Amino acid sequence: MKQKNGNVYFYVYKTQILKSLAYKFDVYGNIIMQTIIMIATAFFWKALFRNATMVKGVTVDTMMTYTVISSMLSVVLTTGVERRITDSVQKGTIAIDMMRPVNLFKVFFAENLGTVTALFFQNLLPIFLIGSLFIKLPTPSGLPELLLFLLSLLLAFFINWYLSVIFGMWAFSIIQMDALIQVKKHLIRLLSGSMIPLWFFPEWLRSILECLPFAYIYQMPLTIYVGQYTKESLVRGLLVQTIWVVVLFTIFRFMEKRVTDKVMIQGG
Amino acid sequence: MKYIKTLTHYFEVTFACIRMAILTIVEYPSSIAGWLLSNPLQFIVGFATIQFVVQEFGEINGWSYGQLAFLYGLSVISHALSMIFFIQGWFMGYYVLEGEFDRYLTRPLGVLYQFFFTQINIFGITDLLPGIVVFLYGCHKVGFAWSLQNILCILALLIGATLIRGGIYILIGTTSFFTRSANDFGQYTQEIFDKTTMYPLSMYPESLQFLLTYLIPIGWVSFYPVSSMLGVDNGLTGFPGAIGLTFVIGIAVIVVAGIFFNYGLKKYESAGN
Repeated sequence: MKQKNGNVYFYVYKTQILKSLAYKFDVYGNIIMQTIIMIATAFFWKALFRNATMVKGVTVDTMMTYTVISSMLSVVLTTGVERRITDSVQKGTIAIDMMRPVNLFKVFFAENLGTVTALFFQNLLPIFLIGSLFIKLPTPSGLPELLLFLLSLLLAFFINWYLSVIFGMWAFSIIQMDALIQVKKHLIRLLSGSMIPLWFFPEWLRSILECLPFAYIYQMPLTIYVGQYTKESLVRGLLVQTIWVVVLFTIFRFMEKRVTDKVMIQGG
Repeated sequence: MKYIKTLTHYFEVTFACIRMAILTIVEYPSSIAGWLLSNPLQFIVGFATIQFVVQEFGEINGWSYGQLAFLYGLSVISHALSMIFFIQGWFMGYYVLEGEFDRYLTRPLGVLYQFFFTQINIFGITDLLPGIVVFLYGCHKVGFAWSLQNILCILALLIGATLIRGGIYILIGTTSFFTRSANDFGQYTQEIFDKTTMYPLSMYPESLQFLLTYLIPIGWVSFYPVSSMLGVDNGLTGFPGAIGLTFVIGIAVIVVAGIFFNYGLKKYESAGN
């Protein structure tokens, strides 16, 4: 039985890849958007570094790599899960979804993995090519950095996923989610270091952000990739990142149970 | 006399429409509450980005922090105004596909006028408020003198900038009459506008600056008028009276857009209602 359920999720994963491949215009649109943002950001940093070779131990080259990799990460760290939950709550299909003999959140996760797999080829590779061609080939600072980066990225992926699911579960109590989803997007844009690294933030704000989970979505893997870390900061960072994965997972399980109970009561 | 009568009629209709738009909000306050949080946050996040970075680096291409706030604020205000009056341009593709223009064609008012002004997007206020806050902050930082002349300049600049933005939305939207597709370019246009009007244009390569000065007049939305107003070097010499030029270009763009719209409308075939 267990084995069969595993196949179900794999099937969802496969279907989602095919589904994502079907929407051509969305794909081109996303590439155009990402390219505009990436190139504008690169010029922004170039303009800033015009009168300085090094600020806070960072060079313009580092920032170019940071920009390209950050744009690529934003493809992998896309989750539509809040939207997915909101839609099914609004349409009322959530009750039927939950009646099926599968774990709904595992289905969502499989869908998300499917989308990311499709996006990897459709968006990430084109952005990598455009970035390398027009900005800079984003080489990691070494092989150990590349491996640590991948590890940190995996943790970041889970932090991002659990944050989105937890946020999405709000939809069960708040029906108007559109604006709140935007709020979350803007907050992550600023607080995660996806646009400006936390190095350039004022000290007080930086120490607060290093305690919150957002910085561990973009900033941490990126910092490792460009090699802007000391041994202590690396160990501490990866540790805090792992702790956040565990904490968010615990919150998720707690809310999952509550939400399921709620739907059971309302839906009979 | 006849023209004045027509004009007053149009004004009356406009006010009735604004009143209806406001009443909608009063009726459904919860629908705007979320956006009152989300849209200002977007611009405050954008502005915080500038602040943190400029604190560390000192300036961007000769623009000090206060000057950047001034530029950013004005750009957001004209963006908000264009959202209030011209957002329909983004959705023209859908209107063409759905045959919605039939309704406008049967009414005794100009189609272009009806299309943009009978559905005023009062939600644009959620963009306007943060714009005004950042702008006033910038005024304070650069020591802006509130003389009558300066206030008139700001008004002329805002009208010109809003018309340029609106005109470009209409021009892009009108292509739907020919392509008959509903590809929504609003988002991309917006992203390009954001990146080129909220930051100094001079940080981009010269070829791009040339393009955005002479071919697509985006540079005139905020960069040239603001830099001439604050006396910042804008790379291009010999643009005296940039604010007046913004105003003139704004009117020119909207007129061209209007002509193109009316030309496109002739190609319009109804969906068969």
